[in-house]
Amino acid sequence: MLAVIKKEFKSYFLSPIGYVVIGIFLFVFSVFFYLTTIQYGSVDLGSLYFYTALYGLIIIAPILTMRMFAEERKSGTEQLILTSPVSMVSVVFGKFFAAMGVIIVTLVISFMYFFIVKYFGNPNIYTVLVHMLGFILVSGAAISIGMFASSITENQIIAGVITIAFLVMTLFLQDVNSIFAYASIMNFYSDFPSGVISLKEVLGLISFTAMFISFTIIVMQRRKLVK
Amino acid sequence: MIQVENVTKKYGNFTAVSNINFEIDEGEIVGFLGPNGAGKSTTMNMITGFIEPSEGKIIVDGYDISKKPKKAKKQIGYMPEGVPLYGDLTVKEFVTYMAELKGCESKSKKEKVQKVIEETGLVDVQNKLTKNLSRGYKQRVSMAGALVGDPKVIILDEPTVGLDPKQVTEIRALIKKLGKNHTVILSSHILSEVSQICNRVIIINKGKIIAIDTPENLEKKVVGDNSIYVTVEDNEEKMKNIKEKLSQIKEVKLVSENEDKTKKYIITAEKDVDLRKNLFETFAKEGITIFEMKKADATLEDAFMKLISDTQKNEDEKNVEHKENLKKDNKKIEKEQEESNKKTEKTKKNKSQKEEEEK
Repeated sequence: MLAVIKKEFKSYFLSPIGYVVIGIFLFVFSVFFYLTTIQYGSVDLGSLYFYTALYGLIIIAPILTMRMFAEERKSGTEQLILTSPVSMVSVVFGKFFAAMGVIIVTLVISFMYFFIVKYFGNPNIYTVLVHMLGFILVSGAAISIGMFASSITENQIIAGVITIAFLVMTLFLQDVNSIFAYASIMNFYSDFPSGVISLKEVLGLISFTAMFISFTIIVMQRRKLVK
Repeated sequence: MIQVENVTKKYGNFTAVSNINFEIDEGEIVGFLGPNGAGKSTTMNMITGFIEPSEGKIIVDGYDISKKPKKAKKQIGYMPEGVPLYGDLTVKEFVTYMAELKGCESKSKKEKVQKVIEETGLVDVQNKLTKNLSRGYKQRVSMAGALVGDPKVIILDEPTVGLDPKQVTEIRALIKKLGKNHTVILSSHILSEVSQICNRVIIINKGKIIAIDTPENLEKKVVGDNSIYVTVEDNEEKMKNIKEKLSQIKEVKLVSENEDKTKKYIITAEKDVDLRKNLFETFAKEGITIFEMKKADATLEDAFMKLISDTQKNEDEKNVEHKENLKKDNKKIEKEQEESNKKTEKTKKNKSQKEEEEK
């Protein structure tokens, strides 16, 4: 699995994708830093991470995930992975963690907002870490969806569009008072912005991610039967 | 080393490979031969575990590829058709990644990668991106990826396609060298290549194995008759009587008359008789001048064409039977339909009559 993580993470930065992702993320961060923290003149960074996750991931998740399996399938490199003695589980997890790595790099850079606020006021570092934990979990959920979309098609664009469609839905679904509201991953991100780790939300996001990772593994393992 | 037992692969209604059986021993170089779409790649993909057979099982080095894929795949180095590579990695990075995927220990990894890069002649380009390489080099990189980590079995899908003649001879030499301490399976539709490199040939057509044998035996199978081409100057037309002079001759046939008044004949004898010495002596006695004498050798090419056309004939015959059966069936069905139509018409008439009566 380590080999896959290493190669995939490196690939993000060998192509422009890694830099584009971090650039877009920091842009969205900065916009919301101005719109929330600076406009309200507060030291609270909760809404900064909330809104960046809500709007940023719609663009970021598909960019990070659309080539994952679709490109391998199209170029045939899938044959190299599937015929090597690595289990599908470790390939899928390897790719997932590599994408999470890019997110974590962004989050580390996003500490600068904390230090900017710290210069003027007295923000709590633990609250910010809770925001970040929530951000990582939500990103994980979004990436797992994108990864699943990428595994079911050999066309990157279709994979990207499916991911965007799903994430845009989560924008609206959280306001709809129905059972589908639970399909919105942002519904599991309501306590993190106030600095609270709730078991319900952590488990909700982790199980959501686990579900789509397992779907991906199942799809990839079925490939050798139907191909 | 590799056992393939009753393996079938179906895609929906289409059978790509049907019920094939063969065994490959350690240290053999085996060639898959067949026209395009014969099922060569499908068979190889099944041996490497890339696709799962619909029926039957494949055992590599004692491990069933479907049940213990990790252990079985560890013994295999595979170079797929169309040489897929990661374009954004350099040659060295690519080979290292393949080594890591195969679980090479990090201590010996560097040495192994370097050794393979040297073996495949990639030292000059090892720091270039694979997407910038020419086709021949890409092929070699793909091969290096298959060789790294010293797998016992090496499977090469069309290893010499798209290479220039020099590269082809280099790759062939490399494959021969590999055959000394590896089991090698390769596929090709170039016959001369297979007969040069391989110890054994498996001929596949339309998903079925037509023949498994050594190249020499396959060639022998085709040579039904023992023929010799002679070009002679024969002004007194003595060739007509030559058959009576030499009892071993079965047939003398004129092939062509050349501009320089020489004539080319094909002389056929019984099997296992070498006529050449006797012919030479008799011709000398008769005063026929020999310009050229050549044994007509059958090549693997002939074997291949013959085997494939034979199976084609058989199938055509079957198809004819099948079609006739279909025709019969169709006639039956037509009759039945006619009858049922008549019935429905009758019932309709009855109904309308009844309705009228009711009115």
